[in-house]
Order: sequence, then structure tokens, then C-alpha cells
Amino acid sequence: MKNEEKGIYFAEGLAVPETPEPGKDPKPWKETNVVGKSRPRVDGYERVSGSAMYPSDYSLPHMLFGAVLRCPYPNAKIKRVDTRKAEQMPGVRAIISAATPEARVLWPYTPHMKVELFDSHCRFEGEAVAAVAAETPYQASDAVRAIDVTYEVLPFVTDERKAMLSDAPKVHPAGNRVGPTEHYSRGDVAKGFEEADVVLEESYRTECEIHTPMELHGCLAYWDGDLLNIHESTQGVYAVQSKVAEVLDLPLSKVRVMGRYMGGGFGSKLQPGKYTVIAAILAKITGCPVKLFLTREETYLCTGNRPASNMKLKAGVTKDGRLTALDFSVVGSGGAYPAGGTLLVDWLVKDLYLCPNVRTAATDVYTNAGPARPFRAPGHPQGAWALEQMMDALAKAIDMDPVALRLKNIPSYSQARKGNPPYTTTGLAACLKEGAKAFGWEKRRKEIAAEKPNGSLRRGVGMAACLWVAGGGRPPSTIILKLFSDGSVNLNMGASDIGTGTKTVMAMVVAEELNVHTDVIQIEHADTGTTQFATPSGGSKTVPTEAPAVRRAAIHVKQQLLEMAAEQLKADVSDLRFKGNAIVHGNDDAKKVTIKDLKGLKKRGVVVGVGYRGPNPEGKVVNPFGVQFCEVEMDIRTGEIRIVDFLGANESGRVMDRLTFDNQVFGGITMGIGLGMTEVRVLDEGGSGKMLNKNWHDYKLPTALDVSPRMTSFPIELPDPEANITGAKGLGEPVTIPTAAAIANAVYHACGVRMTETPINPTRLGVMLSDRPKEA
Amino acid sequence: MLSNFAYVQPQSLKAALKQLETPEARLHAGGTDLLGCLREGIFGAKKIVSISGLNAFKGVRETSNGGLRIGALTTITQVERHPAIRSRFRALSQGAGEVASPQLRNQGTIGGNICQKPRCWYYRGEFHCLRKGGERCYAVGGENQYHCIFGGENCFIVHPSDTAPPLVALEAVVRIVGPQGTRSVPVSRFHVPPSEDFRQETVLAPDEMVTEIILPPAPSGLRSSYRKVRARRAWDFSLAGMALAITFKDNTVQKARVVFSGVAPVPWRSKEVEVAITGRRLDKETVARAADAAVREAEPMEKNGYKISLLRGVVEEELLAAQSGESPG
Ligand SMILES: Cc1cc2nc3c(=O)[nH]c(=O)nc-3n(C[C@H](O)[C@H](O)[C@H](O)COP(=O)(O)OP(=O)(O)OC[C@H]3O[C@@H](n4cnc5c(N)ncnc54)[C@H](O)[C@@H]3O)c2cc1C
Ligand code: SF4
Repeated sequence: MKNEEKGIYFAEGLAVPETPEPGKDPKPWKETNVVGKSRPRVDGYERVSGSAMYPSDYSLPHMLFGAVLRCPYPNAKIKRVDTRKAEQMPGVRAIISAATPEARVLWPYTPHMKVELFDSHCRFEGEAVAAVAAETPYQASDAVRAIDVTYEVLPFVTDERKAMLSDAPKVHPAGNRVGPTEHYSRGDVAKGFEEADVVLEESYRTECEIHTPMELHGCLAYWDGDLLNIHESTQGVYAVQSKVAEVLDLPLSKVRVMGRYMGGGFGSKLQPGKYTVIAAILAKITGCPVKLFLTREETYLCTGNRPASNMKLKAGVTKDGRLTALDFSVVGSGGAYPAGGTLLVDWLVKDLYLCPNVRTAATDVYTNAGPARPFRAPGHPQGAWALEQMMDALAKAIDMDPVALRLKNIPSYSQARKGNPPYTTTGLAACLKEGAKAFGWEKRRKEIAAEKPNGSLRRGVGMAACLWVAGGGRPPSTIILKLFSDGSVNLNMGASDIGTGTKTVMAMVVAEELNVHTDVIQIEHADTGTTQFATPSGGSKTVPTEAPAVRRAAIHVKQQLLEMAAEQLKADVSDLRFKGNAIVHGNDDAKKVTIKDLKGLKKRGVVVGVGYRGPNPEGKVVNPFGVQFCEVEMDIRTGEIRIVDFLGANESGRVMDRLTFDNQVFGGITMGIGLGMTEVRVLDEGGSGKMLNKNWHDYKLPTALDVSPRMTSFPIELPDPEANITGAKGLGEPVTIPTAAAIANAVYHACGVRMTETPINPTRLGVMLSDRPKEA
Repeated sequence: MLSNFAYVQPQSLKAALKQLETPEARLHAGGTDLLGCLREGIFGAKKIVSISGLNAFKGVRETSNGGLRIGALTTITQVERHPAIRSRFRALSQGAGEVASPQLRNQGTIGGNICQKPRCWYYRGEFHCLRKGGERCYAVGGENQYHCIFGGENCFIVHPSDTAPPLVALEAVVRIVGPQGTRSVPVSRFHVPPSEDFRQETVLAPDEMVTEIILPPAPSGLRSSYRKVRARRAWDFSLAGMALAITFKDNTVQKARVVFSGVAPVPWRSKEVEVAITGRRLDKETVARAADAAVREAEPMEKNGYKISLLRGVVEEELLAAQSGESPG
């Protein structure tokens, strides 16, 4: 780049957004030069070339490797741990277990349920029993295997449907209910069903999905005096800091967590794991850095999942398409500890469509299985699986187009929240209408209806809609932006870029405001030692949380530059404005100073801008909406399905970067295909209770061939000036909510079989097809 | 992680056979299955004998009578793409193309493919089951959704190979070399059903190896095909599949060999289907009768009943396609 030539600032004449007076909020951008365009990742080269250092890439002198011994039974008490043989093995430097004083710390599964780090009662397969630090990873894992443990193996229950039976083994002494069944109700459901012309009732189930991000879970921990340093693959360095500090009883300032790059988390890395604390303890005992990354098999057992959901839904609708009542219940399990086994599963039933009479009940139970962790849009895809298939069935029952039925029930306010607060914007109707048009919904339905069967192949189209309960972002966020005297910029932000392109979007915001090239913006982030407090990147809130603070920090820089220019030009700040690479006076373009010639900037060397995330609009709800459409082709003899194409219409406020936006849409659909068609955790329910498919082959993630190459991202960009000062809402989660249900609806359209249980593939569909009454 | 072992790479067949005499020597071709087995602790190894240096057993050659000799070290990709296999023995090319993933096809060999170990998740997991020398079969009363519906006795695996069923259908023969010399075994008798021995997958002795697979010349009028259904569209084993080798005369089935994959502990020849279609045109009626015949003897377990309708579907679809010449061989 030839900065000298073109200046670091953009060419003269480009409009620069207005600078509000100190203390005032800027208006939303009208036209943009950078934001909303397709900007490739600012760190794309590093990520693709392999030069980016992920936590699992780090290596330090004298580093040891940690490995964890895990309980092979779903329920067992530890009687004895004999480490004598393991201690004698080559390379072994430390072994810790419940008997180790340094390891006698409490692990908070929740704030109210703390257990010993190495608890003598292992309530799920994969619970930590002991750990080793050795000179090589192989020595560590060999030593782990040489530890001799005597277990008292106990009866177990791994199926949430059986956990509530009176004779089920108890996961915890008080029984298998996490709490009382949670009830919600509005209106009069019985009356609602009376008013309905059609009432349908159905049971649904989604299987448990396991977290399998590319980068394994783990960290590298080392002590520098009394400062604990951790490089962790995490979605939030500050979340790791606070939990580790709590467990090890350290001041926050003495735990430095770094996680600049990370290879995916999807909710499973919002928190540290026991592995983080174990690495820190091993590092303390050995006086060496300890790297502890789990094996893939371990991550299947103990780094979280999307729980299975067993749902019932009864729904009433009038002939003209008005929903009159919804009655929903769900049973789920977050595993052996409280982990939100039914969290938010009922949210869409309560809030997606206008319906005066709604009742839900959620029962969360314990099972002897790995604890759940938040999983991209917790609860929502499961709820959508039930609700959106039901909507499809209702539409059929009253002979109405499924899109039309939904359009008759669009809420402008949140019915499930107290006081029915309005949404700042609701793009649901626009997603439905414009998405349907872009997909060719009506045309395709007509074509398919007129089509003669082609051998055993049938085509079908399906759609499903969603909102996401969060996605508005919120305080706190603190951003520090430094403008150096040459016009280059340093952005300092605590948030992690979990692969979604956070850094790219933030650089674009800075570029937009300051009119600088993104190439001269250096980003420091995700380091509790050097960057500011941030909440973990999750909940589709990172852009709407951080981007407004970044914008404010940039404005703060501009305000200071204007003051410097006012002094230099002997003018009033209110008469000055930015134009291209300079600050000019009123309409008198001759009276100006380029940024680089500002004496104040030269003297100080840097201007520091600070931006905070302001509050959300009072009494309003900021939620993103989305609708997906798909076409499938299926073989009615075998139940094989090919996804022909997918379209995701998403209303998430302003599109910040079209490339990262589309990325989320495609990735979300891919993940939804996994839930709908391939992924199942298989536990040996009738036998050992162990997980049988804890590897990347038997646990079936969708492959390139399971995902259609024809995917369309169709943004519905509604201005949302109230949401925040960038107008952006979250996107990362709504993109995966409706996918599985849309596929199920397309399959129904193709062959008339209603797949109420995941996964839709030949192992289930074949039987349904052969049981189906023969077509005329 | 792995047990300690010696690694040798003999350069001649003789040297390789010598090395295989060591107790607990394991033959290593492409290693795609072997390394997984070692890592999962299914068996140990004192010595790994890599045969990747035996160039004589790489590649495909014509035989004097119009058949083919496929070296055991020929990669699965090479088998899939070989022009003579594609044109004359299409079932085998298709079967090879259905194996695993591109990476595994590039690395894995045809010899290794027919010798691979079962994929039963108890066997591959931490279960000391009957086949591994233990007391019981965990699939009985367990998670048997991927287990067999034919030929189960003691052990209920399905044979994982996608190349073996076409080879059986095409009447291929395995050349085996050992300390006692060379022997030839039809692929149809190469795999050992658990009713005979539930500890052994093939007739190979530990010091023997497969050197070649020989395809007899394709009779005129032969149409062969391989069809596989799996739970996802790639990188997945067969839930139910079928290799067909049918010789037609005037649109009538003169001779048929029908071999199923994914439903039995060995490539499963369906004499029932063969009888149902031989001497007939593959019209709707015959095909329906054949599909019924295909599953008549099936004995599903608790969780794999879906394989019955699936297999019916495969049989119907492929026989109709064979008649219409959509899958010519
Ligand atoms: C994830 C995964 C998915 C797969 N999916 C499929 C699938 O869908 N369909 C399918 O058919 N296969 C599948 N496979 C199996 C794969 O095709 C085999 O692993 C491969 O063909 C084996 O060839 P190899 O040369 O790598 O054998 P190796 O791993 O080297 O050997 C396999 C076994 O055969 C023995 N062996 C090898 N060559 C000889 C020989 N010449 N003589 C005697 N013994 C020999 C070895 O000692 C070893 O026990 C899959 C494998 C994996 C890992
Ligand atoms: S089916 Fe065979 S391999 Fe599987 S558990 Fe039973 S005996 Fe073992």
C-alpha cells in the first residue's frame, strides 16, 4: 500500500459521517461507503495461510501436556484411585486426583450446585477422575490409562423419558427433577380451542446434538509468579477469567486469559471447562506451562450438547387462518447437572405468532449423561420443529397456503413478555412475502402439483419461520480506539471473534466513521490483560453490542480532532466538519487542515477515543426474524433425500458486511441440516449407558453432499434506528432455527409423510414410507 | 497411545511373507483401517509389515482370456476410474466409487477393503465383545440399528465393504499367498460368516496375504451395477445395498447374481432374488415378487427393521433400472 501517495485517509471528497456534539447520539448512517459492502475478512489471509495462532497452536519452552482420566460409566462411585504405576512411567511429571490438596477445589456446575473438581461420585460417562502432566501428549495419555481406579458401578438412567418413572435410578439424591415443571399461560386455552374450526394435536421429538467445533476444547496455562496466564479456545476471555478466578480463589487481575483466534464454539465455549482449571493446577504443581486440549472423543462426552426435546403441541385455528389456541409441553434433560434441558424450547410457541390463548409446560430432568451447554439458538430449533410443522399441518387442514397462514398471524409486539412491549421492527411479514417471491414459492408449488411422478422420485417444497429471543445486544461494552499521528488506527476490544467476522465488521465501522482504510486498522482483542471487559460472544449479540461502542469510540476520536482543528484554525468547533482527509470550515473549503497536519495530533502522537454501549430502547424489544424455504427431492422407495436448494430470508436490521452475513446464513442452514437429517447422540440405553458414536464418523455431521450447493442468502434490510446507533441486529442464531422444520415440511409436501422425529433419513423415513397407505 | 511395534517395509513378496511369520505381525496396506483398529485398541501389534513397496501388486492388468487381474495394492480410486473396469465391470467401479470419502479412496487399497475389520460400534468401542474374545454380543438387546438382518448368529455385524459385493456378483477370485504357496478362493467364499467362526472375518491365516483379485471375462449381455443407501450422502457405510450382475438374452434374465451389502455379516448372496428373476423379464410383477423374495428370510433385530423396507426399495429400483438398461454394465 502506498500510503504516502493516497494518504491513509480516503480520497478527498468522500462524505464523512457527521460528528454529533459530545454527549449526543449520532443519527443512523444514511449512505455508507464501507458498511454494508462485501468486505473480505481482515484476518482472512492469516486464517487461511495457517499463520494465525489459535490457542491450540501455542507452544512454550518446557511445556508439558495434560490429559484427563474420565469415568467410563454413566454412574459410578470412586472407591480408590491408584496412581503408583502411572507415577513411575517415563515423562510423567504430575498426577492429580481427589487426593491432591491443590485439586481440592469446588467446580460450580451452577452457582447453586458446586461439586469437587474430582468428585467421588461420577454422574455421567466422561466425568473427570484424575489428570496427568507429562512431557509428551502420548506419555500423558499412556499414564492416564495406567491409573487404576476401583469403581462402584451404579444403576443409571440416560433417557429423559424414563427418568421420571418412579423406579428410575436417582441421578441426585433428591430425585430426577431439576425443578418443578415450569408453566406459562395467557388467555383461556379451552375457550380458544372451542373457537377453532380445526384443532390438531401431535407429538414431536428432536434428538440430542453434540457440540463438535473444529478446534477442540482446551487451553495452555502457565504461571508467571502469581499471575495465571491462559490461552484458551473460548468465546469469552472474561467469562473464563471470572470462573477460573472463582474456582481458584484468585483476584480477577491475577488471571489473564487470551483467546485471539479460536476455532468455533457455537455456545460450548461460553464458559471454561474443568479442563481449564485442571491445566492451571497442573501448571502450578509442575512449575511448567501445561497444554491441555481434549481429544475428540472426550469432547463428545463432556463439552455439551443440544438436549433432546420431547414435545406435544395442540393447536387451534379458524377457517380464515386465525390461531385461537396453542397448548405445548416439553420434557428434556440437560444431563447430570442443571443445564437448561428445556431452556427456551417453548419460546416460539409463546411469541412467534399472534395467539391470544397459549399454555406451555416445561419439565427438565436429570439423566446420567454429559451436561448440556448452550447450542446455537438454545431451544429454538426444537420449538420450531414442533410449531412450524404444526403450522404446515394447520394450513393444509384449512386449505390455505402455509405462507398465507403465517401472514395472518404476525405480531407487532412481544406477547410473551410482561406488558406486551412492541418490537422496534418486525421483519417477519417482509421475510415471508419477499422471501417467498425470491424463492418462487407459489410457482414451485404449482409446478410440483402439476408434475407427473418421475419413477420413485418426488419433489417437495417447504418453509418455516422464526424469531430469536435475543439478538439486540446490550451494555456493557467498552471500546478504546487510538488514532496515531500517521492516521493509522488501533482498535482495542475485549470481545472474541469466534469465526463470525467480528473483527472485520468492527474495522468496517471504524473505516466508515474515520474514513480510513481497513488495512491500517490494527485490532487488539480478547485479552483480559490488555483489552476491555466484554461479555462472551454468543446470543447473536456481538455485532449489536460491540459495533455501537466502536462507533462511539470513533466519534469520540473525531470530536477531539475537531477541537484540535478549531484551535489551529481559530474557528468554532460547530463550524467545522470532516471532508475527505481534512477538516474544513463551514462552506469555505479553503480554510482547512488535513488530519495529519493537525499540530495537536503531532504533539500528542495519539488521540484516544473511548466508546461505551448505550442502553437499549426502553419498553421495546429488539429481535431478529427469519424465514427459510427449501426444495427437496426424495426417493420414496428408499427414503433418500437430496436438498435441491435453500433460501434464507433474514431480517437482522442493517447488513454490516454482506460476506459475513451470507456466511452466517449458509452456516446456519448447514447446521440445521445436521439437526434435521443426520445428527443423533446414541447412548447404549439398554446396556452400558455409554455413548456409542463418539467419533466424527459414527456421529454423523452433514457432509458437503448433504448440503445443497444452491443456497441463497436474501437479506431483508429494514432500517431499525431504535435498536442501536448502527441499526444492526443479531444474525448468527436465527439462521439455524427454521431449517430442520422447513426440510420436514418439504418432505411432507413431497410424499405425504409427516416426520415428527429427527433425523429425517432412510433409517426412519423408509419405514414411514412403507407403512403409508398406498397412493391412489 | 499405540503399543510399541517394529515397522518394516519389505521390498519383495518373499521378504514380506517372512516378516509376516512374526507373531502379532500386522499387514499394512493403505493403513486406513489398520491404524484406526490399533488406535482403538481392538488388537495390538508387535510388528507392522508395510507392503507398500510391493509394486508388482499395484494396478490393473488384462488377462489373456479377457478378464482382469487387480493387484491388491491398487487404490480404490484407481479401481473406480479404471476404464476397463468402468466399461466391463461397472458394478465394481460403482462399488469403489461408493466407498467412504475421496481421501480414503485415494489411500485405501482394494485388498485392504475386502480385508477390513467390522464397524460394529461395540467392537470399535470399549466393549470386550464376543468377536474380540469376550463373553457376549452387546448388539443383542442393544443399539443394533446398523446391524444385520440376515446371517446373524452369535455375532450380528454387517460386512462393511462396498467392493466385496460387486466382486462376489462378478464371480471374482482372490489370490492368496502364504508360506505354503499360492491358493485361489472365490470372493464368495473368502469371508467367514459368524455361524462358522465369529472370531474370524476372512479365510486368511495370519501369515497369508492377498496379492491379486481376478475378474473372469464378462459374458456378453452382462449388465452389472451397485447401489448403496446410507444415512447421509457421503462418507458413510451401507445401510442396505445391492450388487447385480445379470446376463440378459432378448431382454430376459438368463443368469443373475445378486449380492447385498449392509445387511449381513458377509456379502450376502440372495439366491431368492436370483431364482425369482431368472428366466423372466424384469417387469413390474417379477420385480415385486423379487423384492418380496429378497426379504422373506430376513430376521430383523429390535432397531433395524427399517432395513427390510429399505432393501425392498433398493431391489425394486435396481431391477427396474437393469431392465430399462439404465445401469448397463
Ligand atoms: C471413516 C471411514 C469410512 C469408511 N467408509 C467405507 C465405506 O463406506 N465403504 C467401504 O467399503 N469401506 C469404507 N471404509 C473402509 C476403507 O475402505 C478401508 O479402510 C480401506 O479400503 C482399507 O484399505 P487399506 O489399504 O487402507 O487397508 P489397511 O488399513 O492397510 O488394512 C486393512 C486390514 O486388511 C489387512 N490387509 C490389507 N491388505 C491386505 C492384503 N493384501 N492381504 C491381507 N490382508 C490385508 C490389514 O492387515 C488390515 O487388517 C471406511 C474407512 C474409514 C476409516
Ligand atoms: S455384533 Fe459382533 S462385533 Fe458387534 S458386539 Fe456383537 S459380537 Fe461384537
